[in-house]
Amino acid sequence: MSEGAERKPVIVDTKLSFPERMVWLGDHFKREWQLYVMLAPTIIWFIVFLYKPMYGLQIAFKDYSIFRGVVGSPWIGLEHFETLFNNDQFLRAVGNTIKLSALNLLFGFPAPIILALMFNEILSATYKKTTQTIVYLPHFISSVIIAGIVITAFSPTAGIVNTIMGWFGLDAIYFLTKPEWFRPIFIGTGIWQEAGFGSIVFLAAIAGVNPSLYESAVVDGANRWQMMWKITIPSIMPTILIMLIIRIGNIMEVSFELIILLYQPATYATADVVNTFIYRQGLQSGQYDLAAAAGLFNAVVAFVLVMTANTLSRRFSRTSLW
Amino acid sequence: MSGVKIDGVFKRYGAVQVVHGIDLDVAEKEFVVLVGPSGCGKSTTLRMIAGLEEISDGSISIDGRVVNRIAPKDRDVAMVFQNYALYPHLNVAENIAFGLRIRKVPKDEIKKSIADVAEILGLTPYLERRPADLSGGQRQRVAMGRAIVRHPKVFLFDEPLSNLDAKLRTQMRAEIKRLHNRLNVTSVYVTHDQVEAMTLADRIVVMNDGIIEQVGSPMELFMNPVNTFVAGFLGSPPMNQIKGTLTDKGVDTNGQSILLKGGLSSQAGRDVIVGIRPEHITLKPGKASSPIEISLDLVEPLGSEALLHATFGGEPFILKADTNGDIDHLSGVDKVHIPADLVKIFDAETGRVIESDAA
Repeated sequence: MSEGAERKPVIVDTKLSFPERMVWLGDHFKREWQLYVMLAPTIIWFIVFLYKPMYGLQIAFKDYSIFRGVVGSPWIGLEHFETLFNNDQFLRAVGNTIKLSALNLLFGFPAPIILALMFNEILSATYKKTTQTIVYLPHFISSVIIAGIVITAFSPTAGIVNTIMGWFGLDAIYFLTKPEWFRPIFIGTGIWQEAGFGSIVFLAAIAGVNPSLYESAVVDGANRWQMMWKITIPSIMPTILIMLIIRIGNIMEVSFELIILLYQPATYATADVVNTFIYRQGLQSGQYDLAAAAGLFNAVVAFVLVMTANTLSRRFSRTSLW
Repeated sequence: MSGVKIDGVFKRYGAVQVVHGIDLDVAEKEFVVLVGPSGCGKSTTLRMIAGLEEISDGSISIDGRVVNRIAPKDRDVAMVFQNYALYPHLNVAENIAFGLRIRKVPKDEIKKSIADVAEILGLTPYLERRPADLSGGQRQRVAMGRAIVRHPKVFLFDEPLSNLDAKLRTQMRAEIKRLHNRLNVTSVYVTHDQVEAMTLADRIVVMNDGIIEQVGSPMELFMNPVNTFVAGFLGSPPMNQIKGTLTDKGVDTNGQSILLKGGLSSQAGRDVIVGIRPEHITLKPGKASSPIEISLDLVEPLGSEALLHATFGGEPFILKADTNGDIDHLSGVDKVHIPADLVKIFDAETGRVIESDAA
């Protein structure tokens, strides 16, 4: 294609007969094969890691035995789901997942947006770069180290939190063994770890706002606060909505690693979520079929949530993922 | 008086100076157009008037008040931007009302102002629409509506029509002119399009490389450019500029002689550039005109007239001629006539105009 020439969208003529379409498709592949080569790794990744494992989902409806294999195990219908919904631990895990996700959405989702808006108001380039580096840093630290820092910080003997509380004459609390403290610590840690890095996408959206809008507002008499509320936030709203839809789609996927590292039987009442339940049942107790049923339930809920969020967003804001 | 006075204004970005001490007085109610090629400093000058760029040196006064240190919102100016600068999430009415809402104007007053402006600009049926649902011309009208609704002392236009197609540009140009005639507000308009400058301006300011080359009415600049830059910038096609040498009778150029009105015999022997506009060249001899021989390359019909592309002594030479409904009679043209009173003479070295001995 010559430089500057406009690439025409690929539109298949629906009036073509099947053989004609195949010929058209062959020509199309011949012409655009480089693009398909570039696309191949992603397609292969999806097939190997996401579509092929779906084959194993059938064990959620089978009495699975590793000796008989996926195909050889007998079908038992929805028995595992009945077991799950009669299991108090599973129901508690579902409840905890929803509560943690809701809190994460409430506090964790706005945090990077607020951070991005604050960065946008920093005028000194050096100060901006320094603060950005500081808040991006925790994202690159392994969750194991993050959990270690949190455990140390909240230690009842040498932790900084209890030390400070001691200065004010307060008794030491072993935070990580108290179910009521698990959620605030988990949400706070998540924000500390990810808000900075998460702000990058919103900073990019802010960078894409037409500078003339601000100049026009300045001439109209708007101050920085008004410009943030009336220009920046509405302008990045499509990005916010897209990120929200993605976030809602992942609502059942609370940070598994961090929970595994921070929770303990004493805090199961608030800390045990569907994924940790699956991990214990599936890998530790060897009930792969029950764990598959729980995982499938998780996926179906996430699918319904993301569909609903996308439809609502499209209807009310003209923004949607698809 | 709500005019604009620019007094010895400089603009520097670090070590780079882009505006080199310009002076300009824009009278109250006047429509002044800053025109020049890209990078000449015209938009920077406009942005300095608006307060969007700081002035490095000199002063700018609006309505007799020096505004160097005054915030844009307190300068009482309104600006129309090249890309409209409409808020995509607000509808037309909300866009127009934005400045008034910021200034906490009472709601009833805002409503009335929106209705008035929409009526003037023909936007009443579109008030509920968002910018994405409007055509380019409608968007431009909304941008103008947002400017006029505040009743500012000065309108600033930064290439407002350059995103429109040729037909819409012509239409909007006329609308801006009508609007100015109706509102009579001092306006400073920036464009690189000399047709826009000629049609809209009370006075044109031609800028080049951060300096003002010439200020004057459109016809003054067209007929009496002070240098080869202005001569070449205004007019479409631009003025023919041919090298020559002054003689006792006129100019000797490419071995042919061109008569000058008034003469420049006192400067005979001086190297000059002869300027003649394509529309001033005739096919028939006039009262005091000089015949020159040209070699015709191409005839471009434009309808009532045609552009004749030729060479004169090896240099490109262009002229306009009436077609009278047919271009066949133009294809054999080999001799044209230069009216002595319309020839401009510029210094070959400085490019400045040389007045005739009689002037």
